Amino acid sequence: MNRTDVAPSGLLAALSEAGLTGRGGAAFATARKVEAAHRHGAQLIVNACDGEIGAAKDGWVIEHHLVELVAGARLVAPDARRIRYAAKRDSATAQRLRAAGLPVLEVPDRYVSSEETALISLAHNGLARPLTKGEPFVQGGRDSHGRRIEPSVVLNAETVWRVAQIADRGPRWFRAHGTPAEPGPRLVAISGAVPRPGVLETEAGMPLRTLLAAAGGLADGAEVIGVSGLSGVLLPRAAATGMRWDSGDLGRFGGSIGPGILHVWDPARCPVEHVDDLLQYAAGQSAGQCGPCMFGLPAIAADWHALSTAQDSRAADARLERRIDLLPGRGACRFPDGIARFAASARSLLADHLADHAAGRCPHRDRSNHAA
Amino acid sequence: MSNELLWYLSRATGIASIVLLTAVVVLGVVTAGRRDPRAERATVVMALHRWLSLGMLSFLLVHIGTAILETYVAIDVISLLVPFTSDYATVWVGLGTLAFDILLAIIATSMLRHRLPERLWRLVHWGAYAMWPLGLIHGIMLATSDQPLLAATTIASGGVGAAAIAWRVTSSYADRDRRRAVLTEQWS
Repeated sequence: MNRTDVAPSGLLAALSEAGLTGRGGAAFATARKVEAAHRHGAQLIVNACDGEIGAAKDGWVIEHHLVELVAGARLVAPDARRIRYAAKRDSATAQRLRAAGLPVLEVPDRYVSSEETALISLAHNGLARPLTKGEPFVQGGRDSHGRRIEPSVVLNAETVWRVAQIADRGPRWFRAHGTPAEPGPRLVAISGAVPRPGVLETEAGMPLRTLLAAAGGLADGAEVIGVSGLSGVLLPRAAATGMRWDSGDLGRFGGSIGPGILHVWDPARCPVEHVDDLLQYAAGQSAGQCGPCMFGLPAIAADWHALSTAQDSRAADARLERRIDLLPGRGACRFPDGIARFAASARSLLADHLADHAAGRCPHRDRSNHAA
Repeated sequence: MSNELLWYLSRATGIASIVLLTAVVVLGVVTAGRRDPRAERATVVMALHRWLSLGMLSFLLVHIGTAILETYVAIDVISLLVPFTSDYATVWVGLGTLAFDILLAIIATSMLRHRLPERLWRLVHWGAYAMWPLGLIHGIMLATSDQPLLAATTIASGGVGAAAIAWRVTSSYADRDRRRAVLTEQWS
């Protein structure tokens, strides 16, 4: 199949048959988004922000497959003037896009600013903060302040690249990769305590061990593997080596493939303190729009900090458990949901370690002292 | 009804209206920030705010009706709605008319609140901060000078309402403070 032969209806059929889903983490059916974008003549924002902690694949697509990416974008939005490429301000990705003469939507370096409706707000000269969702913005509408929002669709950079690939090589090629539930080739960024961090071209269903081996294997003493950054979960080393990289296996730990991120935690750092840092960071990233986010995240971070520093641990743990349940589904975006999932996972995986912290000791520090 | 009785009735319902209006404003100011997360109390305050405002309206209608009917001073029916048309104390009666007009707008938009954009309702409701002082000035300026109790009541109402507004403006409020603090960060 030649790319120039693909009529819009042919493209939609191909995307649908391929079963391509959004690679930014939400895994929404791309064919439905593209169909709506065509119907409403929506402007396209290609999300190349790598917004999640540890994300790197958007930048990798820009660096290595920009020509195909641009072709894919034109398939979604035939009018090139209605395409913009969102990248973090002053990032290497933004510089590459600009060097290629492409229109760049410069995004502030904030966790929630690369969320899809935050990008739509920014593209309309608003602040890069998530919008309240009513009808999908692909059909246009208004934000909660009454400002007009023109029809807009946001697709992750890898997703747009896959659109071009499917148009070029056909859905059968695509389906030859991955699992029936999660078909297609996909990228995963591996970082942290591995000898060769980077972006891998892989597919769902791969043994996790194989992915980690491709990055050079786990560093000695590494015990915790983070999946999907702050919106994901933590895996114990023992389980991680026996499981597959698909949402079925990851789902047993409450996770999913999400935006394709593996981060091996530094064995030299206490994981409880690491979670403490991440939750403090998360608390400072709220856009200050929804109460459960702007108060709930600092509350959870404070609970974890109290736990990790043995301040009234029993009460802090009870509060943490209750608050984790209160957070999901209450924000304009899914930021609080992700943090709740992350905190719940950390609380469960690090339960023994937390109990030691509650008793005023840290097995990690004791071990390093012993080794020293 | 004797003219004299109408006159007294007008003064009495006028001062009652000011006291009740002040109570409604204070309840509204207290509710506006929704500082109290305990929902039951907020519901009671809200209901009181609404029903007291309608109760106040009945006193106000008697006040206005009797002021027009009595002939001791000349106030025409047109001054009910059009400000600064009264022969008697044109400016001070006019302020009262103006306050009444704003009040009607506030009540009408509140009755239709579920059919109006929230922002429109809110904008009109902010008019209360103009309506209430206008009513007070109207009351003070037309208070009979040999009845210090009437003037004192109006002044006391002003003090109480001003205190409530000052509290709302100056009191720290975690929600607003956090929103403002976040907005000072870089978002574009």
